Amino acid sequence: MRDGGSADRGKAWGWLAGLGLLCAALIALPHLLSYSQQEIAVFLVINVLLVVSYRLLTLTGEWSLGHVVIMGVGGYASALFTKALGVPVPLAMLLGAASAAATAFVLAFPLFRMKGFYFLIGSFAAGEVIRLLWKRFRVPFGGPKGLKLIPSFPDLEIGALTIDFFEPVNYYYLCLLVVSISVFILYRLERSRIGLTFHAVHWQDSLAESVGVSTWRYRTLAFVIASFFAGLSGALLAHYIGTVNPNRFDVGEMVFVLIWAIVGGTATIYGPILGVVVLTIINEVVLRQLGFDQMRPLFYGAILIASILFLPQGLESLVGKAREAWAGRGGGAGPEDQRFGAQ
Amino acid sequence: MRSVPKYRDMSRRKFLGTTVAGVALAGVVAPNLAFGAAKTVKVGFLAPLTGEVAAWGLPGLYGCQIWAEQVNAAGGIKVGGDSYQVELVSYDNEYAPDKARTGATKLIREDGVKFIMMLGGDTWPAVQPIANRTGMLVSTLLPSDLSPDTKTLIAPCEVHPIYNVTGVQWLAENKPDLKTAVICAQDDALGRPSVATYLAAFEAENIEVVDTVFFDISATDFAPIMTGLLAKNPDILCLDTAYADYVHPLCEQAYQQGFKGQIISCTADFYEKIIEKTSKEFMEGFIFQFPDFDDPALNGPRINFTDPNGFYAEYNKRWPGEWGAVSWEYASILDLWRAGAEKAGSVEPTEVLPAMKAGGKGLHAFGEAEWWGKELFGIDNALVGDWPVVVIENGKAVIKEFKSIPAWWRKHGKLLVKHFDKMGEMYYQRG
Repeated sequence: MRDGGSADRGKAWGWLAGLGLLCAALIALPHLLSYSQQEIAVFLVINVLLVVSYRLLTLTGEWSLGHVVIMGVGGYASALFTKALGVPVPLAMLLGAASAAATAFVLAFPLFRMKGFYFLIGSFAAGEVIRLLWKRFRVPFGGPKGLKLIPSFPDLEIGALTIDFFEPVNYYYLCLLVVSISVFILYRLERSRIGLTFHAVHWQDSLAESVGVSTWRYRTLAFVIASFFAGLSGALLAHYIGTVNPNRFDVGEMVFVLIWAIVGGTATIYGPILGVVVLTIINEVVLRQLGFDQMRPLFYGAILIASILFLPQGLESLVGKAREAWAGRGGGAGPEDQRFGAQ
Repeated sequence: MRSVPKYRDMSRRKFLGTTVAGVALAGVVAPNLAFGAAKTVKVGFLAPLTGEVAAWGLPGLYGCQIWAEQVNAAGGIKVGGDSYQVELVSYDNEYAPDKARTGATKLIREDGVKFIMMLGGDTWPAVQPIANRTGMLVSTLLPSDLSPDTKTLIAPCEVHPIYNVTGVQWLAENKPDLKTAVICAQDDALGRPSVATYLAAFEAENIEVVDTVFFDISATDFAPIMTGLLAKNPDILCLDTAYADYVHPLCEQAYQQGFKGQIISCTADFYEKIIEKTSKEFMEGFIFQFPDFDDPALNGPRINFTDPNGFYAEYNKRWPGEWGAVSWEYASILDLWRAGAEKAGSVEPTEVLPAMKAGGKGLHAFGEAEWWGKELFGIDNALVGDWPVVVIENGKAVIKEFKSIPAWWRKHGKLLVKHFDKMGEMYYQRG
């Protein structure tokens, strides 16, 4: 008969083994893919950061329509830091992310006077204002055509080895590293006291205020942190494709983020990741290879409707059910352990 | 007596020996057999096939499919003593730079294409580094993508938006009493340089532009836009290079708000549908720049497009009601590329490009043209010649005249540079 300590150790070893397998799979992945699929993998990893950062904001109960524009703020700022001021690309990426966070902080003052549906519309309007500013001011934003010839991430020289980040495999590893660290930070943040307060602000904001929690401050904090990481994803994108323009960050792109989050689910940190991974593979790999290029929007819409009808809790609920089934066979954790937010 | 099969006598050594010999023989013979078969050259089509800009990609792909079938049925293209069948490989870039980069990577590194056709615009900057690194020959419909850095990018068919000057010139010659105009366009990489061109063209003809309106590409309500424009009481309503999704509702609004004046536009894709939504009388005299290819004027000796009428008939048979501005353009680019490859005796991009540009002249679909663009784009990679002025008469597009873009440029080029510069569209002003 196992005592509690050995059970915990077994569980920890299980997690470590799972994590190790995942890491090995992610490292091996690009070598199993074609060149174009490697490109898709790069954008997929960047989008993982975008959608996971979006989830952080949703923890406080607010859904924004401006998150992709905030991503664009990071991309534009990072591009301008390198093009106009000659800042090295790695530093410019961090400054771009910080610019996105600073923009979110300023926007928080008018936006968090609203809640729910009004916040949603307000965030859309704020995003459009930013996009129109990019269009209106040719200097420094390049107008409707945006910015191009954005410097790419510099080559890394290790002895005789030169790592060219223009190559999708190398950039994939760079993005994987950055995104893994970012997701880990977001995961730890959610499990911290601050993360618990985000949940409290979402589910019991009046109660939280009655015990001295400033809901405005915590909503702002979530918005700023989420925007920092969205900005970082924008910077990663900008220095890879070498161009940013206002259309790339319009509401149409935001709809995709919403779909990823809805189809994947937002109760767990892996929910939106599942959403973006599954839908990207279906949209960019499977449907294209089947020759359904022009039918993809139709399939995408159908998947969204089917998901809402048959998986209202998102793809993450399938993981919960699978674990439940596994636990029923006496093999693992119960469903109450699934939520990362559960303490 | 039962005979024993010979193979029973075969030792393992014999088996291995004969197998190796067989494989070696196959290795010697197979390449010769391959040489005997028709070769294939792949051409990439990297344009939006879905989304708002699909109208300037998908009809072009349809046209290319017809072109490839006809060329292949006639024996393919003749290059260096060999016949090549042409295989089209398409990739939907959704008019997004990241998808365009993925598509370019696939076409070049996986499919091994020798030439890529693009719409250009927002998607080109993401492809440019790949084209520069690989030396891939790429065509665009938007010469505003050209710059001194784009050595392997050519605009061999459509010199958008410069040809719009021909429509205004024809309008001024034929309706000299019209003296005021308003312009509206979506605020993007297509709309802005086109507005600069129309401003120059109107100024050259002493037509006053009383209002210019840019609307966002996400606009869906065109009633207030049209109300504002018509409040200026213009003689001419210019729809610039608006996408088909905007031209249609703008025309509807002009009709509903009682506009009786002249309309001029770069395109009028699917104009039959506009007529259905408005009226034949309202659309009478509508000027634009893209002919239907059943026009008798396209049967003249100047035209360098194989059987335009037959092409149009086949297109409409396969995709009724889908004929648009770009339906013939990519196919016409393929004609130029084919001529370049045949002249070079090679399908390699680095050899085809110099062959295409040799002598500074090329056979454009609408007549002989010159490689031009240094003053406006910083590089002579745009093929410029005559362009048709098309007018809707009795519900049908009719070519009224071919007018020379170089002739206009020689007379009014400074105006174009002035407005491009003012709009920040000169090559040295871009991002």
